Amino acid sequence: MKIVFTPDWFLGQDVMINLFSFLILGLFFFFSVKNYKISKNKRLLYLGIGFLLIALAELSVVLTKFAIFYDTDVTQSIGRIIITYDVVKSLDIIYYISLFFNRFFTLLGLYIIYRLPLKRISGDFILVVYFIIITSLLSHNFYYIYHLTALIFLALVTRNYIKIYRENRLANTGIFIVALCLLGMSQVMFILSNLAYIYVIAQAVQLISYITLLILIMRISKNGKKKQAEHNL
Amino acid sequence: MERRNRLNIIYDILKVIKAKGEIKKTHIMYQANLAHNQMKGYLNELYEKGFIENTGGKRPLIGITKKGADFFQKYAQVREFEKTFGL
Repeated sequence: MKIVFTPDWFLGQDVMINLFSFLILGLFFFFSVKNYKISKNKRLLYLGIGFLLIALAELSVVLTKFAIFYDTDVTQSIGRIIITYDVVKSLDIIYYISLFFNRFFTLLGLYIIYRLPLKRISGDFILVVYFIIITSLLSHNFYYIYHLTALIFLALVTRNYIKIYRENRLANTGIFIVALCLLGMSQVMFILSNLAYIYVIAQAVQLISYITLLILIMRISKNGKKKQAEHNL
Repeated sequence: MERRNRLNIIYDILKVIKAKGEIKKTHIMYQANLAHNQMKGYLNELYEKGFIENTGGKRPLIGITKKGADFFQKYAQVREFEKTFGL
C-alpha cells in the first residue's frame, strides 16, 4: 500500500519543505518559551507546546521520508531476495509509527492552539485526545480522514483569530490568519493528493504558509525593537 | 477596561521614563496612571532591580538604566507576541 504520495522526482525536495516547516515551528516554540520566561503568562507556554507538537510532527515526517530513501536504496541494490522483504517489513512498521505520531502530534498541537483564546476550560480534553488517537489510527487506511480533521481544526483556529483580529486590528494577527488559510488550502489539496501533481502543489502551498509564518516572527521581533527606538527619540 | 498586571505597570512606568529621558516622580504618577503609594512601591522595586536611577543630583529626577532599557525592549517583544496571538 502506498502511504506517502510523494512522486519519485519530488522525493528530497519535499523533505526540505518539511525540514523548513520544522525549523519555523521550532522558532515559534523558542519565542513562546522565551516570552513565557519573562511574562509568566501560562498561555504563552501552551502556545509554545502547540507549536512544538506540530514541529515534532514535521520531524517525524522527515524521518519517515528518509526511511523511504533507505527503502529505495536497499531494494535497488539487493534485489528480490528474502532480506529485502524483511527490511521493507520493518520499514513498514517505521512508516506506521512515524505517520501515526505525525498525525497525532499535528492534530493535538492544532487543538491546543484552538483552545488557547477560549478562557473557559472544560473537561473535554481527554475525550478530544481519544478522538485524535482514533482519527490518527483510522488515517492509516483512509488517509483523507486526517487531512479532513486537520482542515476542521484549522478552520476553528482561523475563526478564533478572525475574532481576535476584529478586536485588535493588528497586521501581525492578519498575517497569522493568512498563514492559517494557506495551511487549510494545503490540507484540501492533500485530500486529493493521490494525484501526484496536486501533492506537489499542496507541498508548495504549505511552504508558502511557513514562509508567511517566518515573515510574522521577523515582524514581531522587529516591531518590539522599533517600539524601543521610537521611545528613544 | 482590562486590569493591568504588575509587569504591564512596570512597562508603562519605564515607557514614561524612557520617553522623557529624565522625569519627576509626580509626572510618572500622572502619566502612568498610578496612585502615589502604588507608584512608590513600584519605583522602589525598579531601583532595587537596577532598572532606574537618580539622575538629577539634588533635584529629584529619575532616569532609566541600560538594564532597564534592555528589559523594556524584551517586554515590548513579549507584548507584541501576546497581542498577535490574543493571549
